[in-house]
Amino acid sequence: MAYPTAALDVIGLWIGWVLMLMIYSYPLYKENPAFRTAEHMFIGVTLAITIITNFSNVMKMCVTPLMQGNILMIVPLVLGLMIFSMLIPEYQWVSRYPIGLLVGTAFGLGIRGTIKPNLQDAIIDTITAPTSGGAMAWLNFLYVAVGLICSIMYFMLTFEHKGMLKAPTRIGRLFIMVGLGAYFGNTVLFRFTMLTGRAQFFLQVLKLIPM
Amino acid sequence: MSALSKLANVDSRVFYWILFIALMVPFLSPIGFPITIAENTRDLYEGITDDEVEEGDVWIMNFGYGVSAWPECHPSVTVCTKALFREGAKIIFMGPHYDVELTYNKIHDTVRDDFVDKVYGEDYVFLGYITGGESAIAQLASNIRSVYPVDHFGTPLDELSMMQGVNTHEDIAGVLSSDTGDYGVHFMTQWQAAYGSKLAEIGIAMNGSTDLPRWQAGNYFGLSIGSRGGAELEILIGELGEATTAMDSISVSHLLLIFAVILGNIGMVVQRRSS
Repeated sequence: MAYPTAALDVIGLWIGWVLMLMIYSYPLYKENPAFRTAEHMFIGVTLAITIITNFSNVMKMCVTPLMQGNILMIVPLVLGLMIFSMLIPEYQWVSRYPIGLLVGTAFGLGIRGTIKPNLQDAIIDTITAPTSGGAMAWLNFLYVAVGLICSIMYFMLTFEHKGMLKAPTRIGRLFIMVGLGAYFGNTVLFRFTMLTGRAQFFLQVLKLIPM
Repeated sequence: MSALSKLANVDSRVFYWILFIALMVPFLSPIGFPITIAENTRDLYEGITDDEVEEGDVWIMNFGYGVSAWPECHPSVTVCTKALFREGAKIIFMGPHYDVELTYNKIHDTVRDDFVDKVYGEDYVFLGYITGGESAIAQLASNIRSVYPVDHFGTPLDELSMMQGVNTHEDIAGVLSSDTGDYGVHFMTQWQAAYGSKLAEIGIAMNGSTDLPRWQAGNYFGLSIGSRGGAELEILIGELGEATTAMDSISVSHLLLIFAVILGNIGMVVQRRSS
């Protein structure tokens, strides 16, 4: 990607740069009118684009085929309009039908596709001993096996966690803490990558590094 | 007041300033931390190159990320698009984000040289925005035209030569889904699990710990995790790009955070002992 040369593109780039600084003025300084202006602009523009995109999509997917004679397209249109009845308290019950249909469809599809990858494949992979990779693969296999069994035991609430259950449930809790810690760490690092992208953009607009 | 107590009372904004400045330094003066190739990334690359792809195969590239996640997802998507084009594959671009058009424009820019001899409608198409979550992805497997009667520019799919005879999962050689959300999982449950479709994930670092078991279980034939995965793919294809450039900065941010966590823990232990 090269630094833009067209006037409008350059203006757009600098507007983006200034808006970014306005947003970062909140963590780097404090809440201020510049931050609020950029924040409101961001929300407004995002909402506008979302509405336009979805409106265009409904027109393309439903209204146009309906106008061309595909009479079945009246069904999703009516169902969609029924959802808006939740805005009128006395007719809120009407919206339950399309929502019920949506939830039912989602559950049906979810059950169809979830069992194999999320249960069957995951369990088979967990209990299958490694065939290659040496000692490290075996160590990892045992680590996962102990972690899995102990973590499941931690959620076994039928019995009090004492006696024989005390040690494995405590180990299970440690595994869960490590797992949640790793997940949280990944979340923070993902945000840092986004911040890195902004730092790069900051320097690129100033032409300190190539775009 | 001890040094640790003083540190504990430092305004958090000082850390933000240090972080923001520290992130910029490696861009101006690259450090060159070594990058090793993870097995999951290698599997992804090998799954879209050489004998794994035949000329004329149609692949789906799902942009399941918005502009904000470009630094995480886009480098990997760039490499995968290059690799597929160079193997003679045809690509269907689509995405569930309202700003999907911006990402499509971006891929034109980052894969500029490979797009030069490609013709829209013959070698690639852009179907645009998709909504409807898992239901839409399931429907896409059985009838693409029912979800996308026209492409993003309003052209009926039957008028695009590449889409002739392409309408179900059977006509698609593979799916590459790059996501910040659940669309990769939707492709896994509704394409890979249901029909055995070839599927790979280009995920964000945040989802790495949930995506890895799926690659290990064989649901994904390959997996690229975050910018790091992008940098690894850039090394594999032999064209260093924005992920490799950004890796130094990302590594510095991680080191800084680890340092802050260690310092915070030392402070806490010392305060506990003194009280």
